[in-house]
Amino acid sequence: MTQIVAAQHHAATPMFVRRARGSRCPLSPGARFAGATSTATLALACLSLWASPAFADKARITGLADVAFGMIGNLQADAVRSQSLCLYSSASTNGYNVTASGTGPGGAFQLSSGSLSLPFEVQWSSSAGQSSGTQLSPNIPFTGQVSTATQQTCNSGPASTASLIVILRSNALTSATSGTYSGTVALIVAPE
Amino acid sequence: MISARFCRRSVACLLGLFAHGVAFAASQGTLGTTSTGSVSIGASVPNRVQLSGLSDVAFTNQDPSVAAANAQNVCVWSNSSTKGYNITATGSGTANAFTLSNGAATVPYSVEWAGSSGQSSGTALSSGSALTGLTSTATNPTCSAGPGSSASLMVKISSASLQGMQAATSYTGTLTLVVAPE
Repeated sequence: MTQIVAAQHHAATPMFVRRARGSRCPLSPGARFAGATSTATLALACLSLWASPAFADKARITGLADVAFGMIGNLQADAVRSQSLCLYSSASTNGYNVTASGTGPGGAFQLSSGSLSLPFEVQWSSSAGQSSGTQLSPNIPFTGQVSTATQQTCNSGPASTASLIVILRSNALTSATSGTYSGTVALIVAPE
Repeated sequence: MISARFCRRSVACLLGLFAHGVAFAASQGTLGTTSTGSVSIGASVPNRVQLSGLSDVAFTNQDPSVAAANAQNVCVWSNSSTKGYNITATGSGTANAFTLSNGAATVPYSVEWAGSSGQSSGTALSSGSALTGLTSTATNPTCSAGPGSSASLMVKISSASLQGMQAATSYTGTLTLVVAPE
């Protein structure tokens, strides 16, 4: 549990409110007041700013749709499906990272048809409407992304803020045995 | 049975469901310090075959007392579960006969096929009739990776046919090969 300790005010030194872990809550010079009552008020202010769980950064991913390649007519060309989705981050920078995992061994991006497998690629772009992006590696966070969403489900502001691209490469398609393949990608986003 | 409803906050649980083949539609994330969504992906790969690596056949200055034969390695690729295929050959003669023509006269030839490369004899093909039950070892549609070839095509003209040909005259024809997965 976070503990708050109000430091004794001293005119020659800045006043801080200390948390149990040692991080300090500085009070701006304009906010210094003499007297125990004022100090307690400021300490509570710092509590709400620095320690309240209600202010933990959060993120949300919505607007995802299943990816249906259907019957692939040309096995010697890459098959690409992209979709725009809503990525919201409450971080002060609107930053986030995304981690993708597939249903292959170790989270590999693989579709399966019984014992057969068909690898695929996952790409991510931090803007909507893209047909290419940065290739993701399974279970590895892709950091440094920034969202333009102003509402957690993009009900207002931009309707979508990121793109998810799934690619079946031609060399994988021509190496695959005929059949119907399926799989899943889980996407985990976190503010940063 | 595990319900997806109770898995919303657990990635391990979600992946466990996926691994066990539970049908899933796209799921949306909730607001939190992490948020997890998922999409299902589906694709169908149709049966396909490809024949490549064919070369024209030229018999020149053939000794009529010796049968003429030409063998070539070709690539047949099939992506069926058994890698199986069949092949049907047709010639450019009357009723798709395997014949060469100089415009006035024709000469028959024979076609043989082997389901492995490097062969000089194989199974005789009949025009328009599929030779079935073949299996390819090709791992790439054009054999650019894996084995460089996977079948053999032989074209032969018997000594008797050669002896019936007019000297110093060119005979030409076309052999068409159609492969299909099985």
